[in-house]
Order: sequence, then structure tokens, then C-alpha cells
Amino acid sequence: MPVVLTVDARSGVPIYQQIVEQVKRSTALGVLQAGEQLPTVKQLALDLTINPNTVARAYRDLERDGVIETAPGRGSFVKGDGAAASTKLAARDVARRAMESAVREAKAMGLSRADVRTVTDTVLDRWFPEE
Amino acid sequence: MNITISHLTKKFAATLAVDDLSIEVPAGTIFGLLGPNGAGKTTTFKCMLGLARANHGTVRFDGKTLAPPLFEGIVYLPERSVLYDWMRVGELVEMNRRAFKRFKAERALELLKTFGIDANKRCGSLSKGMKTAVAVAAAFAREADLLVLDEPTSGLDPVNQRHVLNLMVNEAARGATVIFSSHQIGQVERAAERIAILDRGKLVLEGAVDDLKADRKIVEAIFPDEHYSLNGLSGDKRIGRIDRSGRIVRVVALDGANDLARRLEEAGGTGIRVVDLNLEDIFLYAVAPTSARADVVEGS
Repeated sequence: MPVVLTVDARSGVPIYQQIVEQVKRSTALGVLQAGEQLPTVKQLALDLTINPNTVARAYRDLERDGVIETAPGRGSFVKGDGAAASTKLAARDVARRAMESAVREAKAMGLSRADVRTVTDTVLDRWFPEE
Repeated sequence: MNITISHLTKKFAATLAVDDLSIEVPAGTIFGLLGPNGAGKTTTFKCMLGLARANHGTVRFDGKTLAPPLFEGIVYLPERSVLYDWMRVGELVEMNRRAFKRFKAERALELLKTFGIDANKRCGSLSKGMKTAVAVAAAFAREADLLVLDEPTSGLDPVNQRHVLNLMVNEAARGATVIFSSHQIGQVERAAERIAILDRGKLVLEGAVDDLKADRKIVEAIFPDEHYSLNGLSGDKRIGRIDRSGRIVRVVALDGANDLARRLEEAGGTGIRVVDLNLEDIFLYAVAPTSARADVVEGS
């Protein structure tokens, strides 16, 4: 299944960061699988009507984080061997960011550490009832 | 082609249209020039290309001053396209083919087709948007090293606007440098890697769009009453400005938003929020009256 990336150019979140997060999420969810090829820099830039250098920057970050690897002249691929490990790492990255903003919001509204822990436990109980 | 503008200054009578402007445009970049009406965007383009004589300053193309050997590789799309009304679109393509060695006539005709323009029509019979499209088609068939585009999407419908942006992306992917101006911030935000904002001839902000977005945030805090002090923050270079309204304070952070959020919390603020800014917000803060700057508000 070809991966469909979208960007919201009007958002305050840098475009390269949006691409990095989407690719990480897609690998974490298995939409992008080990060995699968990503669009070329030029193709993705044209598909999304964004700057080629922005795409290149996102790919560099993904490479650095071990999510993809680039074979000169052949393109960029989701990393093969360590797919599981990098997938888990990518998933953690995405989850952590979401939780950070949730906790920040909770704190801003005046909840204490204990309050936040209670809320977290409730949520965990709901999604991991068996553990 | 890498472009270096240094200390460019242009006076019209008593008005400084361009005021000591220095910008560096790296090769292969799509560079967006933004600014309110009369900010000096068009004058900058004209001075760059020798169509107006600057009073001071220099412009270098790959380190060289503008000279005939460079003309072939530089395309200029003026704000209002200059086409001969009596000329047929096809004849215009032929004229370009004879004028420029690298001009690809088939490419121009193919682009005209995507814009839905009949090559047999006379230029004078075209609408404003269609005239823009004809000029764009001719410009992007030049295989240029540098494209200077003044409002390249004016008068075009959204589909054709997107088409022009994609042509720019395509040129940049080929390694060409693209400098363009636009009133539509959304387009600049999407296609440009770097931007410069001009206001009354002066450069007020320059940088990579994604870096500006990553660095610039608004940090909002609510204080228990109106008698709170932000003296700890005075003189902090990371603060663009501080707006106080009653118990609410909004700090425009140029950098280090998370740290500033922590500082506001230490000062007794609650309900801290860090808000992302898009390019339109960044633009408006950059050209807002300077009376609202941090140091002035601090003393009030």
C-alpha cells in the first residue's frame, strides 16, 4: 500500500517535522513496512507542492533517527533489519510527544502530580485492561 | 545560482524605497519576498536586474556583477506581464525561441495547454489571469538558472495558482534558484524554503520558514491579579514583545519558548500555554508597530 503523506502548510508546526512524524507514525502502525520505498525527494515535493529542500531535510532527520536508509541512486527505504526496534522507537517518540502536551495542559489547568497520575491510571486501565 | 544583495539602497525623491537591504539567497532555494504594499519588493527586483539604478549597494550572481553573459540564464516575470496585444500567443512563443538559446518551445506549448490557453489567440484578447499564465509559460520554458517572479500567481484561479507553485518546485528540484513575491502568505508558506519580510524598504525579518516556525511561539500566562512583575524578563533577547492585558500576558518568543514558559510559571503565572505561529502570524508580528515592543510595555 503506498503511503499517503499530507502536510498542513498553514500550521505553525514546521513542514519537515510534520513529514518526520507521519513517516514515524506510518512505520509504527505498519502502514509503511521494512524495505518499502519512500517517494523520491522531488516526487514528494511535487505531490505536496512543498520545497524540495524541506523534504530532503525531513529525510535526513529520518535517516539520523534510524527509521529509513538511503541508497544513493536507488532511493530511500524503510530500514530493514532493525525495523522492529526503530518502529518501537518511532512509536515511543510519537506517543511521548502526545503525552507531553496532555500533561502540560493538565498542569496548566491546575492539576497536581497526583491528579495527573490518577487520570493516567484511569486511561491505562481502559486501554490495557488485562495487565 | 547564488545571489548576494549587499546594502542595496534606492531613493525616489525624498522616499527611501529600498533602505540598506542585504540578503543572501543560496543556490537552489525557493526564496519568498513578503511585505505590505509599497514595501519595496518590486523596486528590489528591478535594482537586482539593472532595470532601475540603485543609489548604493551591490548585487552579485555567483559572485559576479550582472553582465550580458548572465542574461540568458535569468528570467524576470514582471508584476504586470508585458505582452504585445496584437501578437498571437504562438507568435510570442516563436519570438522567445528566437531570442533565447535555451528556450524550449515544446515545453512552452505544453504549459500553455495545461493552463488551457489557445495558442492562436491574440494576447490582447486574454483576461488578466490568462496573460499572467502566458508569461509564466514562457518564463518556465527558459531552463533558467535564476527566476525572479513578481507576483507570479496574480489573477490566476486556485488550480492554476497551485500549478505555478508546482512549476517553481520543479525548477528548484532541477537546481535553479527561484525568488518570488506574493501577497498570498499561504503560497509563500507552502513553497518557499526561506523568506524575507520587507517593510517600508527595510528588511525586518529573514530566515528559513521551518526554522522561524520552530523558534517563534507565543507563550501565554494568567496571573492571579493585575499587580505582577515581569522584571525578571526585561532585556531577554529571546522576547520579541510582551502584550499585557489585565491578568493575561502574551509573550512573543523568538526562541526558547519552553524556557520562557517555565520562567513565567516561576513568576507566579498559571494556565501557561505555548502557541504555534504560522507564517501569517509571524508576518503580522514582524510588521506591527514598534510601539508595542517589550521594553516600552515593560515600563508602563
